[in-house]
Amino acid sequence: MSEKRSLRDPGHLPNLRPDKRPRDPSWLPRQRRGITPQMIGRYPDYDVLENTENWDEATRRVVTARLDPPGPLRFFTAQEEPTLRAFCEVLLAQDAEPRVPVVELVDEKLAAGRLDGYEYEDMPDDRQTWRLVLQGLDGTAQEWHGKASFAACDSEDQEGIVKAFAAGALAGEAWVQLNVSHAWEVCTRMALEAFYSHPWAWNEIGFGGPAYPQGYMRLGPLSILEPHERPGATDEDPVRVAPELQG
Amino acid sequence: MIGNLLKGARGPKSNDSRYLLDVHRRDLPGKDTMCRYPESDEVDLLIVGAGAGGSVLAQRLARKGWRIVILEAGPFWHPDEDWVSDEAGSHRLYWNQKRIIGGADPISLGKNNSGRGVGGSMVHYAGYTPRFHPSDFETLTKDGVGADWPISYGELKPHYEELERELPVAGQNWPWGDPHSYPFSPHPVSGAAQVLWRGAIEMGIEMRAGPVGIVNGTFGNRPHCIYRGYCLQGCKVNAKASPYVTHLPDALAHGVEIRADSMAVRVELDDAGKAIGVTYVREGEALERFQRAAAVAVCGYSIETPRLLLNSTSPRFPNGLGNSEDQVGRYVMVQGASQSAGRFPDEQRMYKAPPPEVSSEQFYETDEDRGFARGFSIQTISPLPIGWAEHVIAEGHFGRALREYMRDYNHWTTIGVLNELLPQPENRVTLAEEKDPYGVPVAHFAHSRCENDKANMEYSKKILKDILQAAGAQDTLTIQRYAHLIGGARMGTGPENSVVDADHRVWGVPNLFLADGSVCPTQGSANPALTIMALSSRLAERLATKQIRAAAMELAR
Repeated sequence: MSEKRSLRDPGHLPNLRPDKRPRDPSWLPRQRRGITPQMIGRYPDYDVLENTENWDEATRRVVTARLDPPGPLRFFTAQEEPTLRAFCEVLLAQDAEPRVPVVELVDEKLAAGRLDGYEYEDMPDDRQTWRLVLQGLDGTAQEWHGKASFAACDSEDQEGIVKAFAAGALAGEAWVQLNVSHAWEVCTRMALEAFYSHPWAWNEIGFGGPAYPQGYMRLGPLSILEPHERPGATDEDPVRVAPELQG
Repeated sequence: MIGNLLKGARGPKSNDSRYLLDVHRRDLPGKDTMCRYPESDEVDLLIVGAGAGGSVLAQRLARKGWRIVILEAGPFWHPDEDWVSDEAGSHRLYWNQKRIIGGADPISLGKNNSGRGVGGSMVHYAGYTPRFHPSDFETLTKDGVGADWPISYGELKPHYEELERELPVAGQNWPWGDPHSYPFSPHPVSGAAQVLWRGAIEMGIEMRAGPVGIVNGTFGNRPHCIYRGYCLQGCKVNAKASPYVTHLPDALAHGVEIRADSMAVRVELDDAGKAIGVTYVREGEALERFQRAAAVAVCGYSIETPRLLLNSTSPRFPNGLGNSEDQVGRYVMVQGASQSAGRFPDEQRMYKAPPPEVSSEQFYETDEDRGFARGFSIQTISPLPIGWAEHVIAEGHFGRALREYMRDYNHWTTIGVLNELLPQPENRVTLAEEKDPYGVPVAHFAHSRCENDKANMEYSKKILKDILQAAGAQDTLTIQRYAHLIGGARMGTGPENSVVDADHRVWGVPNLFLADGSVCPTQGSANPALTIMALSSRLAERLATKQIRAAAMELAR
């Protein structure tokens, strides 16, 4: 459960911690309203989806479509799926339900051919890059840990491999066909876009979300919350606090 | 003084776009009743690209009675349906067709700097509209780097002023470059930007609010900004300036045809070497079409303009148009755009208000003590969640660490620089071997920084850190990136050093003009949109008043 501390203090940020490692998210309360990934409640009483009636129709359509039941995969194969899921899970620390369907959102983008308009000269097409990366992760898992695939490794080993991927420090059969640093950028760009396009992730970070035609008028510094926004986690009793927040 | 008294009251003289827009819907009035010209009709001017350059050129000359068609590769927007308050959902606004990037410092394209569709990249620019400084036009003479323009700041100045009334630009009186004021008062500054401003004051750095092309007050049928923060996703409000709302409504009312979904493939010449029109392909068709014209203006920006010129080969011009001296596609520039974010005890919620709010041009010109030539500007910015995630992962945080920094989003505020990177011949657009679905080779863009570029970027990163520290930031995150595009077909004094002359005319082709950012020999550290528009405005004036020697052009009027 959450310990008594103020969010004015930045001590939870990895750069400022003695071991530079993030805390287990259990220091935060559980989400009390709406859904967040893994129900982590940094904004426990905030649900951006309660404001959808104030969004324009086109925006509402695009955003709420992300809540539809995900899948099935169209671009990635059944063979690729376990490693793909494991990689996205490590990258975004989605180790429990509810999960933002990152795998399905990336798959949908690749299947539809919605690429981003540029390709590094030392790289294949983004679609081929993803396939090679999954092969490369499996190859490294075999080489480093004697496991049949990346998905078969324990989470500590998976994290180690992803850390080496982030540093561009992977070599092997599939990796030689890629610039590893560029491959990291291509894959993370897409996975992060998928995750942070999802309203559950907006709940987790307290983002106010779409605001047309409503607008944002509380620009701070004194008045910072719109009627639909909620402050970060506190240790106060939500039952007592929440009614006072109704804008 | 009188200018200050009249803030909020000065409208443009010859542009009715603000009154032509519909208050209740964002579709362009006049689109359904727009003029249509047969392909066999020799129009007075055929423009390639409905962005900042092409739209201003069309609007100005249409008012002088020119019969004009604009070919635009992308769609004609229906903003109410097509644009959304959503980062990932705005993918269609960008030029997503394949391009290849290389060099030691490859440049991300697509959403970073490339638009597609009626209105061009300004549909998704941040709204920031500073002028270039007078020094930008003579960096070779003054600083020994870059190039001198064949025109001076003074020649653009009246066009800057007119465009600032048309967009309209809101901002504080501007003390840098050529000091000037703006027609509209500055927007309110968000708390997130105020924190940074305080840090700058602490450091002895002067910052000012604006200039942004965003309505602040009443301006015809365009509403006041609602500070929703999605400037980069297309302004559904119609408050942010783009040619879509500032020039194309007036252009349509004066007989311009905008032919959307039409990708130019080649500029065609007759046996005498005069442009006779453009071959193009409509989206979804295989057939090549051809539109006749008495003159052609290419306004496709720094990647597509060189690509079109290079692809327009003929026995007379085997290396493409304007390229007899191997100048097309060279000297493409981007700006260094490192950004640093700082963490503060109170919630900042930087996603509210326009992304750029206060800025400084104090470091714009050369200061020998800094150890490099030219300089940079400083601007506050405010990434939305997906943009913020790019900041976090740039420092190597993934998994739980990434999630922790992301959850902290509301406590952060961001400040960035725009570094003037110098024009270099090897930073260039060439044609790759690979072809697009229309059979046109895709563009290859190589980019590497020189030592001066690196020194500039390093120095400015330190200034950002200092500002954040002075503001009391508890933690910082920094991302090194690049923004904007400029150059690639620059203006100069002869075909051996440029692609066009001071009148934007392609060397060797008397009735072919380039009117976009590609003609700029230098870029300063200002966002380019306003300058691109001002250049087109000047060109239009010179064409309309026949100051350009028209003997070889034989224009209809």
